[in-house]
Amino acid sequence: MNRTLGALLLFTVAGWAQAQTTPEALDWLRKIYRATEKLSYTGTFVYQQGDRTETSRIARQAGAAGGTEKLEVLDGTPREILRTRDEIRCYLPESRTVKVDRRSDSRAFPAVLPEQLGSLTEHYVFTMGETRRIAGFDCQAIVLTPKDDLRYGYKLWADARSGMLLKARTFDRNGNTMEQFTFTHLEIGNVPRERLRPPRTGQGWRVEQAGVAPADLSRSGWSVGAELPGFRKIVEIRRMLRDARPVAQMVYSDGLASVSVFIEPMPGRAEAARIGISSMGAVNVYTREVANHLVTVVGEAPAASVQRIGNTVEYRPQ
Amino acid sequence: MKTKISALMDGELDAHELNGPMSALGRDDEAFEAWRTYHLISDALQGRAMLTNDCLRRVVARLAEEPALVGPLPADVVRPQRPRWFMPSALAASVAAVALVGWMAFAPQEKTGPLLAPVARAPEPAQVAATRTVPNAPARLPVTAATRDYLIAHQVFSPRNSLQGMAPYVRSVSAESLQGKP
Repeated sequence: MNRTLGALLLFTVAGWAQAQTTPEALDWLRKIYRATEKLSYTGTFVYQQGDRTETSRIARQAGAAGGTEKLEVLDGTPREILRTRDEIRCYLPESRTVKVDRRSDSRAFPAVLPEQLGSLTEHYVFTMGETRRIAGFDCQAIVLTPKDDLRYGYKLWADARSGMLLKARTFDRNGNTMEQFTFTHLEIGNVPRERLRPPRTGQGWRVEQAGVAPADLSRSGWSVGAELPGFRKIVEIRRMLRDARPVAQMVYSDGLASVSVFIEPMPGRAEAARIGISSMGAVNVYTREVANHLVTVVGEAPAASVQRIGNTVEYRPQ
Repeated sequence: MKTKISALMDGELDAHELNGPMSALGRDDEAFEAWRTYHLISDALQGRAMLTNDCLRRVVARLAEEPALVGPLPADVVRPQRPRWFMPSALAASVAAVALVGWMAFAPQEKTGPLLAPVARAPEPAQVAATRTVPNAPARLPVTAATRDYLIAHQVFSPRNSLQGMAPYVRSVSAESLQGKP
């Protein structure tokens, strides 16, 4: 018994010896969540990933019904996404397609609530960073350092007055930047209506409905075993992907990082399945085949974590 | 025989010396027990808590599921990131060892030479060195337009949205993903 107590004490002391979460940093995170929910704004930000950068325009009008948001990519072919509480519309002019994700069941779209932030401290250490001026705003930085190699770390810079997030950097365990969002221009306040108008679509445009519906995959024999510590299942649905193929999707999250597992039948796929891993910035995609089904795991988590979740996907006929 | 088994474990036997200890492992309980014990000791000494019996089961299950890709890697394949605890050489050695132990532990418990068939099919050590088995090393794939569908579907549920609004959606419509660049 004494030994157990001693070991416990040792672990606790070892924990303290590392950097520890400060309540102030946790408060800042709460402030950022609140600002994201409450503020209306227009702005321009740069997305950096590796040696690539891409500029986009963003507008958000807050409202009782969750508000309306619009994102326009300014480099290359124009691409736009519009979001309301119940719907996401993605306009892709080069293929004259609108992809629509409609939320028929609001339970299927959970949001991380500020009250749940406390559980994040089990897997991340929250510390205060420097203060710095970004796009004309005096910002406070906070650092979210993961306690293991299963997730990435984040550094967030928020406007000291409003809490609006001006810059966000995702880094791996060696401190390398995986991706970065930086506002170059931001105006907080009411948004002109035309900034939220959907783009013109006309004849020849195709509408792809995701047709999201709740699902229970275990009943059809699928399971995702040994989940990663801290990641819990937040969503389990059936949906359509391009060329109207039905796909099952399960989403696992630790509150900050998330990983989706997609399962779909192999036959009928237009292109041959390619098995392996691909990366774009902080997002890793792992593809494998299980029981004549294609399993695609997508997540904002290190490749090893995405692969680890993918490798636990099993099928046992009922 | 135990000395031979220890040497086998450490990879110190030449090809022509393998037959004795290998067939002993198939028929001799004591030899097999020694083989297991040595691995346990080695794992305990090196603090590899992962390598429990459950690991054996998983490795066997994975081996049964995945075809072994034996062949030289294309030159343009980038070696994927491995978790830090996987030292490449140690990985190959321990996977091979665990696979063998696992196979023996979970194969039908016949005592009449169950090892002979797989051993006969196994390539000579010299050939093993020349080729590479990559059951746990997926290829690096380029990001294609098809990947974007998954990205959008995933982004809808990302908790980053509550932190950052729509900005992270830019990943799923990035021009780069259209060009199919790696």
